[in-house]
Order: sequence, then C-alpha cells, then structure tokens
Amino acid sequence: MSLVLIGLTLLLMLLGAPIFVVIASLAVLLYTASGIDLSAIIIEMHRMATTPILVAIPLFTFAGYCLSESGAPRRLIRLSNALLGWLPGGLAIIALLTCAVFTALTGATGLTIIALGGLLLPAMLKGNYPQPFSLGLLTTSGTLGLLFPPSLPLIIYAIVGGVRIDQLFIAGIVPGMLLVVMLSVYCVCRAIGADVPRQPFQVKEALKAVREGLWELPLPFIVLGGIYSGYFAVSEAAAITAVYVLMVETLINGDIPWRDVPEIMKKSMVLVGTIFIIFGAAMSLTNYLIDEMIPMRLLDFFREHIENRYLFLLVLNLFLLAAGCTMGIFSALVVVVPLLTPMAEAFGIHPIHLGIIFLTNLEIGASLPPLGINLFIASIRFSRPVLQLYAASIPYLLILLLALGLITYFPWFSLLWVQ
Amino acid sequence: MDSWNRIDRLIGHIEKVLLSVLLAAMIIVAFLQIVLRNFFYTGLPWGDSFVRYLVLWVGFIGAALATREGGHINIDVLSRWLPGVSKTVNLLVVHLFSCLICAILAYASLAFICNERLLKGTVFFDIPVWLLQLVLPAAFALMTLRYAMYSAGDIAVLIGKAPATNPGRGDT
Repeated sequence: MSLVLIGLTLLLMLLGAPIFVVIASLAVLLYTASGIDLSAIIIEMHRMATTPILVAIPLFTFAGYCLSESGAPRRLIRLSNALLGWLPGGLAIIALLTCAVFTALTGATGLTIIALGGLLLPAMLKGNYPQPFSLGLLTTSGTLGLLFPPSLPLIIYAIVGGVRIDQLFIAGIVPGMLLVVMLSVYCVCRAIGADVPRQPFQVKEALKAVREGLWELPLPFIVLGGIYSGYFAVSEAAAITAVYVLMVETLINGDIPWRDVPEIMKKSMVLVGTIFIIFGAAMSLTNYLIDEMIPMRLLDFFREHIENRYLFLLVLNLFLLAAGCTMGIFSALVVVVPLLTPMAEAFGIHPIHLGIIFLTNLEIGASLPPLGINLFIASIRFSRPVLQLYAASIPYLLILLLALGLITYFPWFSLLWVQ
Repeated sequence: MDSWNRIDRLIGHIEKVLLSVLLAAMIIVAFLQIVLRNFFYTGLPWGDSFVRYLVLWVGFIGAALATREGGHINIDVLSRWLPGVSKTVNLLVVHLFSCLICAILAYASLAFICNERLLKGTVFFDIPVWLLQLVLPAAFALMTLRYAMYSAGDIAVLIGKAPATNPGRGDT
C-alpha cells in the first residue's frame, strides 16, 4: 500500500509538483505509517529554520541579488576584460572568471546565466567566438564557482553534513580553481584554433576599470578575510557583506534607487523561502530515515557488494551526477547528504573531501543533459532550443568530468589547506 | 474569482512589506551585534534569538509568497510535453495534491503550536514562543488557500469558463 503511494508521489513529482510538496508528502506517509504524530514534521522544520548559522543564507542571498541588480556584473566584465583581454581566448576566460565569482556571491541559484549571460553572449559573438563554443561555455558556467565561498550550497552542506563551515570554505578554493583553469586552457586552445582576434593591453583602460570597480573589489576579502583572521563568524561576515553591498550600490555607486530595495528584498527572500521549505521538509524526511536506520542498511548493502574504495567513489560520482541532474542542487543536497555521510566514513573518506566531491558532482549535474537546470535556464535566456545546448555543452562537460575525476581520486586538492 | 484575485494581491503586498521590514530588521540587528561586540565588548542579550526568529519568519513568508508567484522549485519533465487539455488536467492534479499536503502541514503545525503552548516557553522580552511560531500554520494555511484557488482556476479553464492561462506555474 505505502509503496504504491510512494510511487504515486514520485509520479506527481515528474508531473511538476513542487519538490517541497513531494518531500513533505513522503514524510507524511512514512510518519503516518509508523504511527508518529505529524507535528514531529513541524518540529524538525522549526528546528532547522532556527539553526543559528542559517541567518547567513538570507543575508548572503540579499547581497547577491543587490549585486546582480546593480552595475556590478558590467563592471566585473569590464575589469577582467581590461586585465585579461589581451590573452588568446581572453574573453572566454573572462566569462569563466566572472561567472565563477558571480555564482559564489549569488549562491548558485540560476542568477548567473540570467544576469551575466545576456551581457557575455553578444560580446563573445561580436569577438568572433564560434556560436556553439560560446553557448556551451555560458551554459556550463552557470554553476561554476559553486565551490568558492560563500556560495549557498557550501553553507547548506556544512549544516546538513555536520562539518566545519570555515574548513569547507577553504577546501573548495583549490578544486574550484582547478575547474576554472582546466576550462580556461581548453578555451585558449580553441581560440587559437578558431583564430579569434586579440586586443592589445591598455594601461589606461585597466586603471579606469579598476577605479570603477574600486568598491566591489574588496568584497572577497570582506567575506574571507574576516572569517580566516578569526575575527568574524560566517553569519557575521554575511551581515557585514549585506550592509556593505547595500551601502555601496545605493549610496556610493547609486546603481540601485532606495525605492527599488523592497522589491529586491522580496525577490531574494522568495528564493530563500523556496530553499528553506525544501530544506525543512527534507530534514523531517531524513530524520525519519535515520531513525529507521536506513543509512546503516544502505551501508551494509554497499559493504556487501563493493569492497573497493575506488569503486565506491565511482558509484558515488555516478549517483550524485544523476541526483544533481534530476533533483537540482538544493534538494539533492538536503536529501542525499545524510544518507551518504556514514557510508563515506566507512570507506575512509575525509568528511571535508566528501563535501567537495558532493558539490562538484552537483555542480556538473546541473549542466548535464537531459534535465540539468542550467540547460533550461540558458535555453530561456538565450532563446535557443535545449537540444542545441545539449550539443554545445558536451566538450565542457567532458573537461569538467575529467576535473571531477582528479578531485575525487586525489584528496590532496581538497585537503591542501585544511588543518 | 475576481474578488479572490484582489484579496490575494493585497495579501501579497502585505507579505512583501513584511519581508522588507523583517529583513531590514535582521540586517540591522545582526550588524549592530557585530559593532557592539567588537567595539564596545557588549551585545544585545536578546539579539541572537531575535535574529533567529526573524529568519524563521522571513523563510516561511517567502515560501508562502513563492506559491503566489509560481516560484517553487519543481521538476517539469513530463508536463512539458503534454498537449492542450491534458496540460490543464495535469496542473489541476498537481495543484490539488499540493493543496492537500499543505493542508496536512497546516494542521500539523497547529498541533505543534498547541503542544508548545502547554510548554509555556518564552524567548526575548518574555514573549511566549508559540506566538513567534504562529508563522508556520499561517504560511501553510495561506499556501493551502492559494493552491485551492489555483485548482479552482484550473477547473474554470476545463469547463470553459476562463481562458487557458495560469499564473501558478513556472520553473525555478
């Protein structure tokens, strides 16, 4: 009986029911089946929503929305163009870097393609970059930078997976750079092959661009410097970032008029609400699963069939790519992390390394055909059929998968700066 | 239907105002705490739990408003390919299902509040904690209502009383 109902729920998920409704309905079913009072679901939601560290999420999201509504994306592109435009494939590298920085600041919530794609695609096409090359680059870059602090998935992983957030922040930097560098190398090779014209370096333009972006340039240092000097907690860094960005974009740069601030607040908090409610529902579901020892049973099953640690990692990668592609980053995080962490421990994988493997997989999964969300956002943003984007993304996905292999099998990348 | 739209727009506006005020309060208090802690070696004793409950409110009001703006994250695989009428039927099924689940959650959060009232816990300024938790049943009740009205709208489309446009859907 309950298996039929669970199947029915999953069918409704594929028919487009909101994810939080699907997860909550599973929780309702399972709680009822084992005679637990339904208010236990709400207890879990309430406990989740009042976790102290969680305040970082609305604050960082608001700061990210302010940045995306201001002239910051344009200034960021101008600055990196002035500094790197002379390289072969310079514009492509600029696209990669700006997308990475932007995703880190806005939390990998689909804003990158929407805010930057519209500026970067015409620029790349005008610079004689081949169309499929440019489309693929901007589609797969939609979640690039997810490993850089203070992206929301990092924060959520730290909460759900029970690891130290400052360690996870610092662990993501090298693997994140590995992804950017490997993609950049590919872009340089392609640009040389396609004979894309270069532009000379101009000191004057570089200085102008630096001056224009003067107020936004300290942001990474505010976010990271405060945390690693031991001066601020993560939630405090979030509050400072929110205040700083709001002041800079309203008072100093004048990009955002005060009367637009409530609208930005609303938009960003609606996004936070959609993430929180999935988070809350998932917490109540996973709590049940843990009570029922499901992770332990999964572990026994895996132990029986997989003895080799490397094989386990491969299976883990395939599973997470599929999860990232179908469920989306946030739902996959909250549902899957508690199920898999005990397993990884049994196979001797460092919890921080596991976090980075998780997030890299989900990042790539978001661009993976057939259902990766980036493909659909890009399809809407660039008015191109999804199939065209599938084809355009393939070379980038192959490179990202190669990088994933390196990150998975060489813990060194993730653990270099930890401890 | 028309009067519901007007009421819903009004509620949506109230939610927007609430979100702005609460978020502004969150930013100010969180920032003030940092200033006090680092420069004056003190802090507001109620500050941290105040901010925590602001997060709860902002999160759940945001979720309720997302229902109005069709912003809940969903996986739209099958419905994408459905033709004409079956699309509306699909929407109706999804909306009714969401309505049912939200109603159950609203009921569960009322039960939760009743338990909390018996515990007589208080937070900052001696406010009973259950008062601050009221946002849970309120948000779920509002979502139930909104999904119910979407369902009614779908039925109106099916029996030909309204043109086939529906505000209650959309990816991300």
